[in-house]
Amino acid sequence: MKKYIVMECHLSYAVVLDEDGHFLKVANRNYEVGQTVTDVIEMQIPQSLPKEKKTRKWVFSLAAVAASIIMAVTILFQMGQMTFASIYLKINPEVRIDVNRNDVVVGLSGINIDGNELIEGYDYKKKDLNLVIDELLEMAMEKGYLYDGSNITLFLDADSNEWITSHKINLGKHLGEYLKEKITVTIKIISKKQIIIPIDPDDSDYGDSDYDDSDYDDSDYDDSDYGDDNYDDSDYDDSDYDSDSGANDYGD
Amino acid sequence: MRSEHQIVMSVYEAKDDMQKADDLIRDYIPFIRSEASKCISRFCTEQDDEFSIAMIAFHEAILGYEHDRGAFLSYAATLIRNRIIDFQRKEGRHQGVISLNEEIGDDEQTLMDKIADQRDYIKESADLEATRQEIEELSAVMADFGVSFSDVADNSPKQNRTFETCAAAIRYAVENQHLLDKMLKTKKLPLRQLVAGSGAERKTLERHRKYILVMLLIQTNGYEIIRGHLRHALKTKGGMSV
Repeated sequence: MKKYIVMECHLSYAVVLDEDGHFLKVANRNYEVGQTVTDVIEMQIPQSLPKEKKTRKWVFSLAAVAASIIMAVTILFQMGQMTFASIYLKINPEVRIDVNRNDVVVGLSGINIDGNELIEGYDYKKKDLNLVIDELLEMAMEKGYLYDGSNITLFLDADSNEWITSHKINLGKHLGEYLKEKITVTIKIISKKQIIIPIDPDDSDYGDSDYDDSDYDDSDYDDSDYGDDNYDDSDYDDSDYDSDSGANDYGD
Repeated sequence: MRSEHQIVMSVYEAKDDMQKADDLIRDYIPFIRSEASKCISRFCTEQDDEFSIAMIAFHEAILGYEHDRGAFLSYAATLIRNRIIDFQRKEGRHQGVISLNEEIGDDEQTLMDKIADQRDYIKESADLEATRQEIEELSAVMADFGVSFSDVADNSPKQNRTFETCAAAIRYAVENQHLLDKMLKTKKLPLRQLVAGSGAERKTLERHRKYILVMLLIQTNGYEIIRGHLRHALKTKGGMSV
């Protein structure tokens, strides 16, 4: 058994010397200086808290901040890229122009074969909606799709009624000014919203008048057709309708 | 809140100042005793080992406390509890041996043991007196160098390799007595010669300057009992040097 000499006594500990020449601080079990003792309880100073942990905490919060920044940026970027509204431009070639919230074009695709041909090789990226429409019309003119007396139809598709209302006016104005000196065309701007409105009033009123006059009925039903998703295909072909609504819209 | 702040400040002051540590511990003896009593489920007297352990545990708490560890007193209480539980576990392991010794007290054989013990005790008390004188002398000389045993305990090399390095330096000095004489005269550790003689790194020796100093002082005249206690160590040192 190891022997220790008690060298120094304090209130809470004693200093002892072992036989190998180690000085130790041990529990002072009523020792006195000079005493030889065998069983000592050595002082153990607790390890200081690992610094690592602190760094890790810090890294965690940094990572969290970084992750949220990345997420925020991603969301913002995606929102920029997100299609907010679509404009169907029909001359004879028909194309769909997708724009984001700021009217920057984020997508362009041909609806029919001519449409694909028209936009082939055209770079729409980061261009403004008006500019893209202008350039598309320009190209259509060059390729002979657009000429004096032809019709241009713009169908606006968006969830926001405000957007549709404001763009109906703005696009009409813009195209009117842009094409004024170049070519004479009929411009029709239509939208889903315009079609939905007539459906809103009570059916009963309409119902009465409908039953009276079956011929008139047909024209009324045009409206309800617009409500369908198939609107694009079927209604554009309907020349009666086009002339009616086109005149109305442009006046707005 | 305010008192908590106060005690944390005293704890931080007591870390480096032994006097303040003692004062703080003395102020909290009732707390320490009550924590120890809780652990052994009876009143803890100052004669109990548990009390001594609780005292040193409180001291450990002072030295080991950091702001991150929460409130000081609850930290200290935990430490006291842990140390006492550790101790009781360790004692439990030796319980058979101890109880055997105590039970013998009723037998005839035990009387023999008791007598033997007594004789040992008388011899021991004489030894004790002599030893104490030696230590007091040594302590006085150390005071001239501005070193206390507590400093030395803190300065004692913990790692085996460091310990061996220091031992080599001490051995070299013992073999060259003039170094010891010079040290006593100049009150300075002849560090350069030790480095040159033992081939140890200066940084290592410098770090354990106080320890080496005391070990060398012990090798000077007049500390036969302590040297005798260290005989074992010297032998291994001698064996290693050859």
